[in-house]
Amino acid sequence: MLALGLASCDSKEEILYQQYVVEGRVLYQTHCANCHQENGSGLKDLYPAISQPALWKSLNTDELTCLIKWGRKGTKGYMPGNTKLQALDIAEIQTFLREQWGPQKAIYSLDSTRFALKKCETTL
Amino acid sequence: MCSKSLFAAILLCFFGLLSCQEKHDLPFLGPKTLNATGDTVYHQIPPFRFLNQDSTWVTEKDMEGKIYVADFFFTTCPTICPKMKTQLLRIYERYAANDVVRILSHSIDPEFDQVSVLKNYANKLHIEAPRWNLLTGDKKAIYAIGQKSYMVAAQEDSNEVGGFVHSGAFILVDKNRHVRGIYDGTKEEDVNHLIEDMEKLLGNK
Repeated sequence: MLALGLASCDSKEEILYQQYVVEGRVLYQTHCANCHQENGSGLKDLYPAISQPALWKSLNTDELTCLIKWGRKGTKGYMPGNTKLQALDIAEIQTFLREQWGPQKAIYSLDSTRFALKKCETTL
Repeated sequence: MCSKSLFAAILLCFFGLLSCQEKHDLPFLGPKTLNATGDTVYHQIPPFRFLNQDSTWVTEKDMEGKIYVADFFFTTCPTICPKMKTQLLRIYERYAANDVVRILSHSIDPEFDQVSVLKNYANKLHIEAPRWNLLTGDKKAIYAIGQKSYMVAAQEDSNEVGGFVHSGAFILVDKNRHVRGIYDGTKEEDVNHLIEDMEKLLGNK
C-alpha cells in the first residue's frame, strides 16, 4: 500500500516533469529559437550557442531566470527581455533547457523561478 | 490507348513550355510608366546614399554592374531578423567568390544602429563590406526607400516586440536597379527560389 503510494507519487512528479519539458519546448521555439536556433547552436558569435557546456557553467539558474525575463544590455552582448513571460513559463523553459543541454535533467520548480524573479526585481 | 498517351504527351509539352517561359523571364516588379516616345519604363531604385559598417558611403553607383539582395532589419530585433540573417548568410557564403553579388541590409532603427553598432554586429556575424553592407543613415530616407522603392513595410510601432513593424522580405535587384523578385526571407524554401532567380540574373541558368 505504502509502496504503491510512493510509486504513484514518483510517477506524478515524472508526469509533471514531462509536462514542463513539452510546454517548455513550445515556449522555447516561440521565444528563443529565432536567435539561439532550434538546436541551440546559436548564430556565429552573434547569438551564443546555449548547447555549450561552458555557458552552463558560467551562469547559475537564478541568473538565467532573470536573463530570460529581463534580458541584458551592455558590453557582454545584448539580449532583449521577454517581459511577457510569467514565472510558470520560465520554469518550463528552464526545465526544457536542462533536459536538452543542461547538466541536470530535473524539473526547475515554479517556486525556484518565483524566488529568483523576486531577487532580480529587487536588484533592478 | 495510343491517342490517350499522345494527348498526355502534348499536354505535358504544353505545360513544359509554359513553365519554361516562366523560368526564363523574371518579372519587372513595381509601377511601370511610359516615356515620351511611348516605351515602357520599369520601376527603378532611385539614387541613395547610406553609411555602412566601415563608415563608408554606399550609393547606387557602388551597385553598378552588380545584382543585389536588399532587406530591412535592426540589430536588436528579437523576432524575424535572426531568421533572415541565417538565410542571408547562406547567400553570402554561396557567393563568397562572386564579386557581382552584393547584400544591402538597411537598419530601420538607425538612431540606435550607428556605425559602431553595425560594425560590432558585422564582426559577430563574420561578414564584411563591400559584399555585405549593413546600412544606417537618415531614418526618413531609409523608410521612404523601403516603402516606395523596395515596396516593403517598415515603420515604428511601440506595440510590436522590439518597437518596429517590418516585413521579412528580401528584394532582388538587377544590374539596372530594377526589382526582379520579392521573397519571404524567413523561409528557407522561398530563399531557395531567390537563389534560383539570382542564378538566372547572373546568366548561369
